[in-house]
Amino acid sequence: MPKSSSRALESPPPSKVWTFLDERLGLSEILEIARHKRVPQHTQSFWYYWGGISLFFFLIQAISGVLLLVYYRPGVDAFDSVRRITYDIDFGWLIRSAHSWSANLMIVAVFVHMFSVFFMKAYRAPREFGWWSGLVLLGLAMTFGFSGYLLPMDELAYFATKVGLDIPTSIPVIGPIMGDLIRGGPDVNENTIQRFFALHVVILPALFVPVLMFHLFLVQKHGNAVPPSEEAKPESERSSIPFFPNFFAKDLAMWLIALNVLALLASLYPWDLGPQADPLAPAPQGIHPEWYFMVPFQVLKVFGNWFPGLTGEIMGMALFTLGGLIWAVIPLYDMNNKNAARARTATWIGFVVLATVIVFTIWGYSAL
Amino acid sequence: MNYPAWDVPHIGSGWVIGSIAIFHVMISHFAVGGGLYLPMAESRALKKGRKDWLEFLPNHAKFFLILTGVYGAVSGVGIWFAIGLASPEGTSTLIHNFVFGWAIEWVFFIIELSTAAVYYYTWNRIPERLHLKVGWLYAGASFFTLFIINGILTFMLTPGAAWLEVAGSGQEASRFFQAFFNPTYWPSLFLRTLVCVSLAGLWALVTASRLDGNKQGALKTEVIRWSFGWLLPAFFLMPICFLWYLYQVPESQSQLLGLGISTIGSGTFTQVTRTALITVMTSATILCIAYFVAYRNPREFGFGYAVCLLVLGLAATGSTEKAREMLRKPYVVGEHMYSNGIRKTPVGEPHISEVEKFNSEGYLTQSLWATEEERVAWAEFDHAWNGGVQLASETLGPQVAPETLRRGELMFQGQCLACHTRDAYRSMKNFLRDRDLTSIRNMLGMLHDYKEDSPYRAFMPPLVGTETEREALALYLNEMAHGGEQAQPAEPVHQVARTNN
Repeated sequence: MPKSSSRALESPPPSKVWTFLDERLGLSEILEIARHKRVPQHTQSFWYYWGGISLFFFLIQAISGVLLLVYYRPGVDAFDSVRRITYDIDFGWLIRSAHSWSANLMIVAVFVHMFSVFFMKAYRAPREFGWWSGLVLLGLAMTFGFSGYLLPMDELAYFATKVGLDIPTSIPVIGPIMGDLIRGGPDVNENTIQRFFALHVVILPALFVPVLMFHLFLVQKHGNAVPPSEEAKPESERSSIPFFPNFFAKDLAMWLIALNVLALLASLYPWDLGPQADPLAPAPQGIHPEWYFMVPFQVLKVFGNWFPGLTGEIMGMALFTLGGLIWAVIPLYDMNNKNAARARTATWIGFVVLATVIVFTIWGYSAL
Repeated sequence: MNYPAWDVPHIGSGWVIGSIAIFHVMISHFAVGGGLYLPMAESRALKKGRKDWLEFLPNHAKFFLILTGVYGAVSGVGIWFAIGLASPEGTSTLIHNFVFGWAIEWVFFIIELSTAAVYYYTWNRIPERLHLKVGWLYAGASFFTLFIINGILTFMLTPGAAWLEVAGSGQEASRFFQAFFNPTYWPSLFLRTLVCVSLAGLWALVTASRLDGNKQGALKTEVIRWSFGWLLPAFFLMPICFLWYLYQVPESQSQLLGLGISTIGSGTFTQVTRTALITVMTSATILCIAYFVAYRNPREFGFGYAVCLLVLGLAATGSTEKAREMLRKPYVVGEHMYSNGIRKTPVGEPHISEVEKFNSEGYLTQSLWATEEERVAWAEFDHAWNGGVQLASETLGPQVAPETLRRGELMFQGQCLACHTRDAYRSMKNFLRDRDLTSIRNMLGMLHDYKEDSPYRAFMPPLVGTETEREALALYLNEMAHGGEQAQPAEPVHQVARTNN
C-alpha cells in the first residue's frame, strides 16, 4: 500500500444547510467517493495542476463568451459591435480582454499540460485514449482561437484570416472548394464572419464539451499517472494525498493564481482593437497568425522559400501532417515500461518536438 | 541641463530603478520584519523549551542573513546608482536636504549588518539570553533604518508647506525636521511596518515549507501556523492606514486615484488605479492561499506553493510601489520639482521658477551637451524663425537640418526621457503614431501652455523652452514617429529646414 503521508483536512461540524442538502442530494456519498480518490505526491506533482488550469481558463472563456454574446453582432456590424463593447459598454473592455487573454493562456496551459503528460509517459497503457482525447481538445482549442480571431473584423484579424485561409485553399483539387466552403465565397467577408461565428459559439462548443467530459472521465477512471522515476519505487515508498479536500484545495489555489495572472494582464494590457478592416486596402506589414499557429506558418514559409510554388507548400504540409501523426501514435510505440529503448526514443522525440515549437515560434516572430 | 541624460533603450530608466527597487523593497522590508520575527520566535522557543524550534531557527536565520545582508545591501546601493543616473536633479535635492539623515541611516545599517552576522554565527555559542539580546538589538537597528528612509521617501510625495517655503533659497536644510516628519510620514511608517511584519511571515513560510511534513510534521504545522499569524495584522489594518495615508496626500494627487475608480467601467481609468487594484487583488489572494493551503494543510505545504506566495508578494509589493510612484506625478519632489528635474518653485535670483526662466531664456541655453557648431546653427534657425510663419521654402531643402533634430533630441532627452522611451515602454512612437506634425505641435503647445483645464496637467510636467526649441522638439518627434514623412504641412509653411549651403 502506498503510504498516505497526509491526512484529510479536518471538517467543521455540519451546518443546518449542509444537513438539509445532504439528506436530499446525498452529498456525503459524493464526498466520500472524492475522499477515496488519491493523488500521487512526488517531486513532479506540480505538473498535475496544468490540466486543471486549462479547464479553468476554458470556464472563464465560456462565461466571458456568453457575456460578449449579449452585445456582439456577427455580419456587417461585427466591427462596430466590438468597438461598442470595448469603448462604450461598462466593463466591456474587461470582459473582452479577459476572453482574449484567457484564450491565449488556455493554449499555453494546454501545451504545458501536453508536454508534461508526454514526459511523464502518461500516455502509456491504459491511458492512450486520454492522450488522444487531449490532442483532439488541443485541435479544437486552436480552432476556437482561429475562428474567434476573425470575429472583431479589424484590420489584423481580416488579413491574418485571409492569409491563414489561403493555405488550405492552395491544396490541389479540393483546396479551392474547401476554401470557398469555409469563407462562404471567394473572399473573406461578412459571410465568413457568420460562418466563423456559428463555428465558434455552436459547433466547436458542441464538439468540445463532450470530448472534455470524456477526457475528464478517463482521468477519473485511471487516476493520475506517475513518472517513471516514481514508478520505479516500491509501493511503500510512494506517497499520496486525498483528492478531496487536500488536492482540491491546492487546485483551487492554482486557479486563484491563474485568475490573478489573467486579471493582471487584462487590466494592465487591455486587448487592443485595430482599425476597421478595409478589404480594398493593401495588407499591412508583418501580418502573422496568433503565436500558436506560428510553427506551421514558419514551416510553410521556410519550405516555400526552399521549394518555390506549390511543391514547397505541399511538402511543408505533408511534413507537418506526418509530424502530427507521429505525435499522435506515440502511445502505440512506447506502450509500457518494459522496453527501455523505445522509452528513450519517445523521450527524444518529445525533446525534438519541444525544441521545434520553441525555435520555429521565435524564428517566425524574428522573421516578420 | 546640468547632467547628462541617461538614455536606456526600450525599458527606460524608470524600469531600471523599478526592477531593482521592487526586489529590494521586498527584501529590505523582510530585513525589518524578520528582525522582529527571529527574536520573537527564539524567545517563544526558549520560554516553551522547544528544542525543535531552536534547531529550525538557525536555518531561517542563515537564509535571512544571506538574503538581506547580501542581496538587500547590494540592491540598495544599486538603487542609489540608478536614481543618481535617472534623476540626478532629484537625487541632488535629496542629498542636499537629508545628508544628515543618511549619515544616521548608515550608522544603523552598520549596526544592522553587524548584529545580523553576530546573531547567526553565535547560535549555540554564547548564552541564550545574550544571543536573544543581539537579536533584539538587530530588530531595533533595522527598524530605525526604516524609520529614517521613510522620512526621505515620504518627503518626495509631500515635502510639506514649511519646507516648500524655503525651497530653492539655499536654506532648505534649516527645515530638516519639518521635511522629515512631513504629512505622510506617520501613515507611511505604519503602512510599511505592517508590510514588514507580513513579509516576515511570508518569507518564514518559505523556510518552513522545506521542513519534511512526514518526519517533522508537528514542528512544520506549528511554524507555518505561527508564521501565518504574521500575515494577519497587515490584511486587517492596512486598509485603515491606507485611508489615513490618502487623507494626507494633496488633493491634486489623490484625485488621480479617485478619477481612476470612477472610470473603471469605461476602461479609461488611470494607471495608478490599475496598479492599486492589483495590490488589493494579489494581497487577498495571498491571504486565501496562505490560509487554505498553508494554514489548513501545513504538512503538505511545499516549496512550490511558498514560491507562488512569494511571487504574489512580489506582485503586491511591486504594484504598491509603482502606484506610490505614480501618485507623485507630475513631480519627483511634490510641488517643488517635476519628474524631469525642472523646478517649479523659484530658485535663486531673480526670484522666478525654472519654468519661467527656461521659457524666456531657453532650455538648452546652458546645456553642456551641445557643440559650438550646433549652437551657431540654432542661432541661424532662431534668426530665420520670424514668429513661426515663414519660410521661403524655395531656399530650403526638404529635410530637417540635423542640428535642428539634435536640438529636438536634447529637448526630448531632457524633458521626456525621464518617463518615456522612443519605442517600447510608454513609447513615443506609439503615442504619436496617429498624429501628424500639426497635431504634434498642438499637443506640445498644450503641454507648454499648461492651462488649468489641460488633461495633461494631472500627470505631466509643463513643456519648457523657447518657441524655436519647441519647434525643434516637434520636428524631432515627427521624425521619430514617421521618419519625417509628414514634416512638410501644406499651409501655413511652418517648416524649418536645412539651408542650401
